Amino acid sequence: MSEVPMMDAAGREAEATSKRDWVPVNLDLRDTWFPVAYSADIGERAVRRIVHAQDVYLWRDGGRLYAAEFRPDRLEAMRAGASAFTNGSGFYPAVERYGYIWAWYGNPDNVHEELIPNIPFLPPDGQGIPRYTQRAVRFDAASPLSVENLIDLTHADFLHANAIGDGQSENDVVEVHSTSETVTRIRNVTRKSVAPVMRWIGGVRAQYQDLRAVLHVHLRNNVCISYPNFTPGYPIPNVQPFVPVGKHRSRVDQTNYTVHAPAPFRWLMPRISYVIQPQDNSVLRPQNARYFESTERRDLSSRFDGPGNRYRLLMMRLAERQQRGDFGYGADADPSADISAVLGMRG
Amino acid sequence: MGRWWAVALSEAVHGDKALAVTCEGEQLAVFRDGKGAVFALEDRCPHRRVPLSPGPVKPGGLQCPYHGWTFDGATGLCNDIPNLRRDERVPARYAARAFPAAEANGFIHVWRGAGTPAAVLPGAWYRAAGREQTGSAVANIAFDQYLDVMLDGPECLLSFPGVHITDFFLGDPRRDGEHLVLDRGAVWKGKGNGPAFVRDHSLWVRTRVPVRGGDIRVELLSAEEDPLVTIFIAASENRRGTTSLVWRGFLHAMAAPLPWRWRTARAIGRAPFAIFPHIDGAAVAALEVAPSRDRRLAKTDTRMPAERVVPVQERCAV
Ligand code: FES
Ligand SMILES: [Fe+2]
Repeated sequence: MSEVPMMDAAGREAEATSKRDWVPVNLDLRDTWFPVAYSADIGERAVRRIVHAQDVYLWRDGGRLYAAEFRPDRLEAMRAGASAFTNGSGFYPAVERYGYIWAWYGNPDNVHEELIPNIPFLPPDGQGIPRYTQRAVRFDAASPLSVENLIDLTHADFLHANAIGDGQSENDVVEVHSTSETVTRIRNVTRKSVAPVMRWIGGVRAQYQDLRAVLHVHLRNNVCISYPNFTPGYPIPNVQPFVPVGKHRSRVDQTNYTVHAPAPFRWLMPRISYVIQPQDNSVLRPQNARYFESTERRDLSSRFDGPGNRYRLLMMRLAERQQRGDFGYGADADPSADISAVLGMRG
Repeated sequence: MGRWWAVALSEAVHGDKALAVTCEGEQLAVFRDGKGAVFALEDRCPHRRVPLSPGPVKPGGLQCPYHGWTFDGATGLCNDIPNLRRDERVPARYAARAFPAAEANGFIHVWRGAGTPAAVLPGAWYRAAGREQTGSAVANIAFDQYLDVMLDGPECLLSFPGVHITDFFLGDPRRDGEHLVLDRGAVWKGKGNGPAFVRDHSLWVRTRVPVRGGDIRVELLSAEEDPLVTIFIAASENRRGTTSLVWRGFLHAMAAPLPWRWRTARAIGRAPFAIFPHIDGAAVAALEVAPSRDRRLAKTDTRMPAERVVPVQERCAV
């Protein structure tokens, strides 16, 4: 028996390029749109959201949407203290799309609506997105660590064993693709036993099903777009935008777009995050604290961490690039490009 | 040079679950294998830094709850990564930090620091010769302060029901190897005119506090210096200025005449002592720093004058 290399190329490169382990808690990537709230959550009363420990107040007035650094009633008094994020105006660029309010985080001179990620299964104007598909959850970790948890497939068998099933299948293949701004993980599972929840309330009578699950991650704003497609069955597309609240917490206004699934699965599926998410938090909370410690002892990896290590490497590259003052998007990056083919959407 | 620390009660570690403990400020996972042998690993998975202690104990060792990597208790070596192919092997350098562990007299000990583990365990002297009372707690006081207060005012940290511990301690602490030993007067509650007016104390409380390490011995002695109650308290630094405590103590079978109230309370099973998990800050703050000065001195001075290092037995008659 020989000792096979336990890390893929990205993992080895990540180890070689940096002497220290990555520090997910300190990544503060700029010039990107954050989906800071569901459109439907914002009315005339100002709501406070946080991006990278910075206040974003949202409200509507006379049919207009405002995203500001200060509360509306204090805006005039505080405007002198407005930051470079709003060019001193106090107002962030903000746009509504896919049922979210997107606020620009970065230099307002670089703002472009085309930098909002494409989400092909959601109506761009947000019309008709049912409220039951929208669930806000909070993660007790910095956004990149939470994203890494989402990319990581192997923990499901242990941390989520009771919720997700036995993980038995005939064949399970994972591939990773990336650009300078995205990581795409594709998982192909053949003949896996149908998850109990799908069998009992999801109308899938078969014993086995195939799964093709695509996860598309935008690095700067941690917008994670998933398209798991079950045959027999249906896709359960979802969006999980990990908005960085700070070094220790992130907030996710997710959209589990189950509208094409049968009832009552359609309504119940979005609630599964209430089971899964506390399980994830039980590991993320201590994990996050330990990424503040000395990075002399680097994390060990197995080949199953290939996608996660690719993510780490690309995040570090992006952070290094921004440290050098380069906030531009590379030629290989176009967040608004249609990704329905990438996700493998039918029809 | 390293040292042994008693970190857990034997009975607190059982089955396929690990026990999370904190020793010298560091989190450890303590567990047993199927044969009952004890092991200690750093409570941190080398894969993604998650605590190992919530994971189950498997035949190969402790399994991390996040992705199921399994670590041998004795060496810390990772011997299983789930879903590897038959021809794949875990790299030899993949390991969690392991600490030597040993069990004696109802305590699980962990060796921390450099050097070969010493032959003698701090809990080795303890032998329960009577009804036992055990416990563990995290006290809201810093570790070094806990040791100092045990010399300056043990009544802030523990009690013997029915006994008033006075603050009249006898002389200076005696050095006994790596420990300082100090006796103080005590009286039965509800007898006589109160502790200030007794001619001779009817009881002694003897505390034996380490200069380094965390093994404390506390004894309630009769006027004749026969032990009534013996307690071993193992303390160690926990996080955020708190102190981990585990203890065992017992009541000696006594022939000496004791107050009927004390005898009745014992006869109906009332505990003969209490170790405080919640410490009264005002009481501790009000204590003058007195005998603990010698402990602080002894800590900085590695070499004690030889004439002051006198075995306790020879100095018993005060
Ligand atoms: S963090 Fe322990 S196995 Fe992954
Ligand atoms: Fe998870």
